[in-house]
Amino acid sequence: MKIKMKFALFLGCTIPLKYPHLESAFREVSRIMDIELEEMKGASCCPEPVSLQSINVDAWMTLGARNLAIAEKMGMDVLTICSGCYETLKTVKVLLGRDKKQFNKVNSILKNIGYEYKGTSNVFHFVELFSRKEMLSQLEEKVVKPLDDLNIAAHYGCHLIRPSEIMEFDDPERPETMDSILNVLGARTVAFASKLECCGYCARLNEDIGYDLVKQKVVELVDLQSPVDAMVAVCPACVSQYDRKERILSRKLDKNLDIPILYLPELMAIALGVSTEKLDLNKRSVKPTKLIAKLKI
Amino acid sequence: MTEEKTIESNQLDHSLRYEISEKVGAKSLLKCIQCGVCSSGCTVSEYIDLQPHRVVASLLLGLKDIILESNAIWTCSLCHRCTERCPKGVDYSFILALLRNIASKEGKIPIEYSSTVETISENGFVVPYTGRMKNTINRRREKMGLPEVSSPDLDEINYILKETGLGNLMKKSKEDED
Repeated sequence: MKIKMKFALFLGCTIPLKYPHLESAFREVSRIMDIELEEMKGASCCPEPVSLQSINVDAWMTLGARNLAIAEKMGMDVLTICSGCYETLKTVKVLLGRDKKQFNKVNSILKNIGYEYKGTSNVFHFVELFSRKEMLSQLEEKVVKPLDDLNIAAHYGCHLIRPSEIMEFDDPERPETMDSILNVLGARTVAFASKLECCGYCARLNEDIGYDLVKQKVVELVDLQSPVDAMVAVCPACVSQYDRKERILSRKLDKNLDIPILYLPELMAIALGVSTEKLDLNKRSVKPTKLIAKLKI
Repeated sequence: MTEEKTIESNQLDHSLRYEISEKVGAKSLLKCIQCGVCSSGCTVSEYIDLQPHRVVASLLLGLKDIILESNAIWTCSLCHRCTERCPKGVDYSFILALLRNIASKEGKIPIEYSSTVETISENGFVVPYTGRMKNTINRRREKMGLPEVSSPDLDEINYILKETGLGNLMKKSKEDED
């Protein structure tokens, strides 16, 4: 018997408010994969793990617990579509589960605004969901446009897999989940030295760090023997970081850096037969022109 | 050559290590053996003036000012490789967050960080989502067949910020504007 999957969808801020085309791609994939999504009314920013955690861990945990409490009231597990949201919500859940004092402190504040955090909803990132064995075979069955000719570089980013002691998600030094999804869609995934490097988006005080990290990865990929058709990420921060900085670096270095960066659900949607009109693939600085031509879509 | 500086033991903050390590997520601090794995794998190591294992050593010694004056605490890219690879299970990236919390309490918050908290306080999100901005975003979403994004109750968000001690930060930035 097939159990229907239903989740409380945690959208976060960046994707729904700045890059809704990424949300569309994800929703199309979920519809085809028969995953039911319920909107989380009243949810706020996760809150994002850079500034709020840095300034006040209690505020970060309490706002996170408020979001989790909304899902608990809906009686559902939470599905995130951004690695930052995933990290915050999962870390808050794990840490509050380990510390009764902090748990009580958070609840003493939430109580006054009508919430209670219990710790009953689990937190998932869609990569975790789609890379499950049974989901991979379902995905494989539903592929109508195999990505057979594509060479893809998977960028895992940091917050999806580290720290593994909390995320408990994939092998932190040799992750395979994204590759396994891309492989069932028919794409080849390449091995490259800087695969596990950070995109630098969260290093907010010094933009050189971001430029250096983006340069390291993109230049390596451009110079590979078998060229990649795209880099794929699962977090809007990584997507926007590479897309924006690659274009600028291309001019600065006077080198043709033309690897488009896609959000994994966009490639999944293509393979599952979603029309390109619904996907807005050209909504980025580095256009996936060659990839579109290669796939004849 | 760096200048040598003598610090008397009575100038050390001996409670700092306990202040940090009593917090959930940072209990492992006291287990540090100064092996330097955190520093060797650090994404931003070439940009910081105090390497991760030196930050921990300074923390254990109670050299609070040296830590708070270094650029190491705010330059972190949050890649968590230090925490991932520590053989003693020290969660350096979380400890660093707690050090940023201490700096924040003393009012030493870079604008790149405090401005995000203001945006959350005013919108519930890190992206402006009120008034005209909200309409523009929702018109775009509607065209794409996406549902309207519901705003969180801002009174609830600000109550949490206030109760956790961020009320002053909000008040201060308002005063700065005036």
